[in-house]
Amino acid sequence: MQELLGRIARLDPSASLGLRVIACFDELVVGNVNTRALLAAAASLAGCPAGFQQEHPRRLLRVSPRGTVVDGEPPELDSVFVAPASDGLAVWLEREGPAFPNDAITLERLALAVRIRHGRGRRDHDNRRHLGLLTDLDVAADDRIAAGAALGLTTTGRYRVAAAPLFAVWLRHPDGPEDVIPTRHGPIHAIVLAESYDAFDATPCGVGVATSVDDLHHSFRTAMVALRLCSPPEDGLVCADVYGGLVDMLADTPEGRHQPDVERMDEIATYAWGLATVGAIVTTQSVREAARQSGVHHSTMSTRIEVISATLGFDPLDGFGRARLGLAYLGHRLRRSKVLDLPAPSLAPDKITTLA
Amino acid sequence: MTRVTSVVRPEFDPELKAGLAVVGGMFPPTITPDLIDFMRVSYASAPLDDLFAERGIERVDTEVPGHEGASLTVSVLRASGAESDRPGVLYAHSGGLMFGDRFSGIDLVLDWVDRLGAVMVTVDYRLAPEYPDPYPREDMYAALEWTAAHCEALGIRPDRLMVAGASAGGGLAAGLALAARDRGGPRLCGQVLDYPMLDDRGTTASTSQFDGVGVWDRVSNETGWDALLGTERGAGSVSPYAAPSRAADLSGLPPAFIDVGAAEIFRDEAIAYADAIWRAGGDAELHVWSGAFHACDIFAPHTAVGRSMIHARDTWVEKILGD
Repeated sequence: MQELLGRIARLDPSASLGLRVIACFDELVVGNVNTRALLAAAASLAGCPAGFQQEHPRRLLRVSPRGTVVDGEPPELDSVFVAPASDGLAVWLEREGPAFPNDAITLERLALAVRIRHGRGRRDHDNRRHLGLLTDLDVAADDRIAAGAALGLTTTGRYRVAAAPLFAVWLRHPDGPEDVIPTRHGPIHAIVLAESYDAFDATPCGVGVATSVDDLHHSFRTAMVALRLCSPPEDGLVCADVYGGLVDMLADTPEGRHQPDVERMDEIATYAWGLATVGAIVTTQSVREAARQSGVHHSTMSTRIEVISATLGFDPLDGFGRARLGLAYLGHRLRRSKVLDLPAPSLAPDKITTLA
Repeated sequence: MTRVTSVVRPEFDPELKAGLAVVGGMFPPTITPDLIDFMRVSYASAPLDDLFAERGIERVDTEVPGHEGASLTVSVLRASGAESDRPGVLYAHSGGLMFGDRFSGIDLVLDWVDRLGAVMVTVDYRLAPEYPDPYPREDMYAALEWTAAHCEALGIRPDRLMVAGASAGGGLAAGLALAARDRGGPRLCGQVLDYPMLDDRGTTASTSQFDGVGVWDRVSNETGWDALLGTERGAGSVSPYAAPSRAADLSGLPPAFIDVGAAEIFRDEAIAYADAIWRAGGDAELHVWSGAFHACDIFAPHTAVGRSMIHARDTWVEKILGD
C-alpha cells in the first residue's frame, strides 16, 4: 500500500496520507484483526518490515510488506522507529535510513491497535469485549459488574470514561483499560480512568463524570457529550465536570427530540455575533463583563441581548432564564458538533509524536 | 452505530476494508466516463525496472502486429539465464478495458517467471473507448498468434503455452481460449481468469449488490462495457469473444483457473462460467474468496485473503506449467 499512497500523493500533492493511514487502522481495530494482520498493514503502508515483541512470555513477530513472516531477530533500530505499546509490548518499523513522512503516524496507530488487540478485554458472550458491555446500559447490571471486575475495576472504586475518536491525536496517553466501542457516532476509543487521574493530552477527547462501576455507562455517555462539545484547537479536551448536571441531562436526552429552546438557539446562531454572544453571557456574571469579553460596547451587548430575548421568548438573564439559555446553548452545539467528522486534510496531524 | 443499507450484501473482510481506506484514494468505487482520464493516470503502472533487476528478470520490449496489422508493444519477461523450451504465458492486463498498461498488476505473476521459469509476453492491447470492440480482443488474439509463431525464438515450448489475465484481462483471456478453439488457433495448456469481466449484460445479483462500494461497482462496469460495445451493450449481437458469458458452448477448452471475490460484482458471472465449463465436461478450478473485493490481491497482497488468493493461484499455475 506504500506504492498506492505514493500514487495518491502524486495525484493530489495536498492529500493527507496520514488520514488514510488513520482510517486504515480504524477499520483494523473495529474489525478486531490479529497482530500479524496489524503488522502486515503497517509494513505494507511503510514499505518495510514491521515487528512486535512481548516480554512475558517472550513473543516476537516480524512481518514483511507482503504480509509474510520474517524469521530471526530484528535489526538494531533507531528509537524513533520503536513505540512501546504498554504492559511489556513494543512495536517497530524496520526502516533503514531516515524516517519516511508517514512513519510516525503509522507507528503510532500500530501501537494503539496492538494495545487494544492485547488489552485485557477478551471476547466472550455477546461477541463484545468487556468495555463495550460495561458502558452499555442495556446490559444487565450483574454482567456489567462482572465485565468491570474482568478489567480490574473494583465495586468500591470510582472511575471515569474518556472518549475519543480513532483519529484523535494523543500527545500523552493515560493508563487504564481501553477499547474501541461502536456508537451511533462511529467507533469510539474509550479508556477507563480513576476518578482522580493523571493529566494527559489528547485532541479531541471528552472525559466523563466520575461514577461507580455499575454507573460507568453514564460516565461514558457524559464523556461522549463532552467530546462532542470539544472545539479544537482551542478546546481539544473537555471534562464533563465543567457542566455537571447539565451534561447529565444532555447525556440522557435522545437526539433529535423536540426541544423548542434549542431550536430557537438555532435561529440565534444565524446572526454572525449570535453564538459568541451567548457564549459570553453564559460564562460571565454581568452584561458589562459579557460586553468586555466580547470586545463590544455595553450598549451593543444590551441590544444583542434584546434580540436574544425576543427570539427565545424569555429573558436569559432572569431567574431560570440563565439555566435555560445555558442548556439551549449546549444543546445547539451538540446538534451542530463537527468534532467527530474526519478533520479536513489541511488539519492533518502530520507531526504526531509517538506514544509515550 | 446506525447504518442505512438498502442492499443486502456480504461484508468486506476487515483487513481488506482497511485497505479500501487507501485504495479509494486512487481507484474510486464508481468510475464514470469522465473519470477515464483520471484512471489512466492513477492506474498507470509505476516503473518496474528496479523490481525486475532485483528479481533477476530480463525485459525485452518488441513491436508485434496487432489487429489489422497495427503495431503493438509487448514486453517479453524471462528469468536471466533461462534456457530454451520454457513454458510460456500470454498476459492480458487489468483496467476495465479503458486504462492500465502491460505492467498493471504484473508483480503478482512474476513468480511464474522467476520461480517457474516461464517466459511471459504481456501486451499493450489498444484501449476503449478510442478502440472499441473488436480491437482489444483481436489485438490480444494477434499477440497470441505471434507468440505461438515465435515460440522457438522466444524459447517457449509450443505445447506449454497458457493465457492469463486479471479483471478485463481475465475476460480477454477467456475470449482468447474460446477464439483459439473455434479458429483452430494455438493449442493452450491453461487459462487463468482472475476475477474476470465476462458478461456485458449486468443482470446478476452480485452486480446489483455493489454500488458505490469497493473496487469496480455496477456503474464502473457499465462504463467499461459501454466504452467497448457502445449501444450494442446488452444486445444479442455481442460476440462471445468479447463477453465470454455469452458463449453457448464451453466444451473443448483448456483447463481453467477462476478466482473471484464473494464481495464483488463479478462473483456470479465467474461462478456461472466455471459451472458452465463443468456442465460441458471441462476442467475448471473455482475459488470464491470470502470478504474479497475486486482485485484485492493486487491492491492488498499483504492481507490474509490476498496471500491466500495468490498462493492458490500460484499452486495451480505450477501444476500446469512446472517442469
